[in-house]
Amino acid sequence: MLPPTAVFYFPWEVKSLGEGKSVRTFGRLSCYEADESRASLSCHHASKEHKVFVHTLFVEPFNPIIGAQYLVLGETESYEGFGVMIRARVLNCVDGVNIALLQKAIEGQRSFFRERERKDGGSQTTRYHR
Amino acid sequence: MQAGPMDEPPSILWGLDPIFSAFARLYIKDILQMTESVQVPGIYFYNNHPIYKVDVLGTVVYKRERDDFFCYGVDDGTGVINCLCWKSELFKDKDDGAGAAPGPSDPTVFDPVAELKKLKQAQQKRCRLEIGELIRVRGPVKTSRQQREITASVFYKVEDPLMAEQIQWMMDVPELYRECYDKTFQLQSDKQGESADSPLIKATNLIKDFIKQKSVSKFRTYDVLDLLEPLISRQPQAASADPEAAGPSGCQQVRQLLKEVLKVLQDEGVVYRRVKTQDEVYHVTERDKDLFIVVKDIIREDSKREKYSEKGCHVLHILSAVRQRHSFNVSKAALEIVLKSLVCNSDIVSSSDKHYTAF
Repeated sequence: MLPPTAVFYFPWEVKSLGEGKSVRTFGRLSCYEADESRASLSCHHASKEHKVFVHTLFVEPFNPIIGAQYLVLGETESYEGFGVMIRARVLNCVDGVNIALLQKAIEGQRSFFRERERKDGGSQTTRYHR
Repeated sequence: MQAGPMDEPPSILWGLDPIFSAFARLYIKDILQMTESVQVPGIYFYNNHPIYKVDVLGTVVYKRERDDFFCYGVDDGTGVINCLCWKSELFKDKDDGAGAAPGPSDPTVFDPVAELKKLKQAQQKRCRLEIGELIRVRGPVKTSRQQREITASVFYKVEDPLMAEQIQWMMDVPELYRECYDKTFQLQSDKQGESADSPLIKATNLIKDFIKQKSVSKFRTYDVLDLLEPLISRQPQAASADPEAAGPSGCQQVRQLLKEVLKVLQDEGVVYRRVKTQDEVYHVTERDKDLFIVVKDIIREDSKREKYSEKGCHVLHILSAVRQRHSFNVSKAALEIVLKSLVCNSDIVSSSDKHYTAF
């Protein structure tokens, strides 16, 4: 009945996830094709441009602001020609967000879970993508 | 160290854990995995801390509405949990018509009807959420139909356009875990070393417990001296083996402590020395049958006399009579303990605050 947990991933980690993973990630809206219900979010990291493709059928209509930061929550799917695409259940404009701070918060949370997993001897069932 | 169901601290001590009284900001993952108490269902344990109410901030990923409540599925990135949010009376009231906005109000005049309408609309705005919005929920955890859920005592939509609230929450929670939730709380009662009580209080309680448990009616100092030894050896000794140390030796400290304890017990009336001789014998007031008999007799006899028949005997009169008949060393406090016990047993009656009489 309840959807699965959408764990935070960085945009550059999304393409290496398999199908069927529930994720939440972010990026700047670089393009939106309304007829294809497809958007792409981009993010700059380690002097590379990373793109995340988003299938927007379930969150339409939404007001696309090109260049604004967006937060997307959904499940990964494989698409021919696009690799991994996120089928969005939630797409929120969060323009103005402090990306560096968000990144720090995500990393802080991950390191806390890793620390805890180490102390418990790996009894936690959730594993975070490194 | 994870506590198994058999390792639960006894429920009577749960109130000592400050986390028990707070809305614990646990990750939803942990809320779902907490073990339920075997002593009291409805209370859960995280790392030996008793938890019954929690505080979460997350995205609404599921919504179900009925006349009386909302059921929101909340996802904080570590887990998803159902939150049962009852609609308030203010929210349910529909007679104003949902769409009508209040007209421009005259700021000098307070119009309660218009203000109430505004309040209702504000309430509706904060409580009706859509999927994707951020919600804050606080309330007790319940397991219903094998599913954990939170019954919201407070819930509201959080306006967070820049994700500042979520980021702050993500940074605060690991700190809370490190400072509070992941620290095991020692829920042991009466163990030495952890308590903030002074040695005198601890020693007094030790002697009192001993007297009670062993039903002691009288004792000498050497009978109870060794009871206090553990308290002294616990004190950090700076130069314990130094023969030239100026401080008192362990033995002297115990004697000194016992002396102080006996003074306190005498002042309270718990014990008294019937006869003051070299041989220090202390009688436990509550177990001194002779003393009880003497007091009863005094009251019974004197209540028959005309002088005391109306009001009864004043406590000071009884005290002087007891001192003459039984022992000079009976203190007022000791007598009061005896009188209280006699009244409880219905042997005598307290006719006023300080007067006693017999049937």
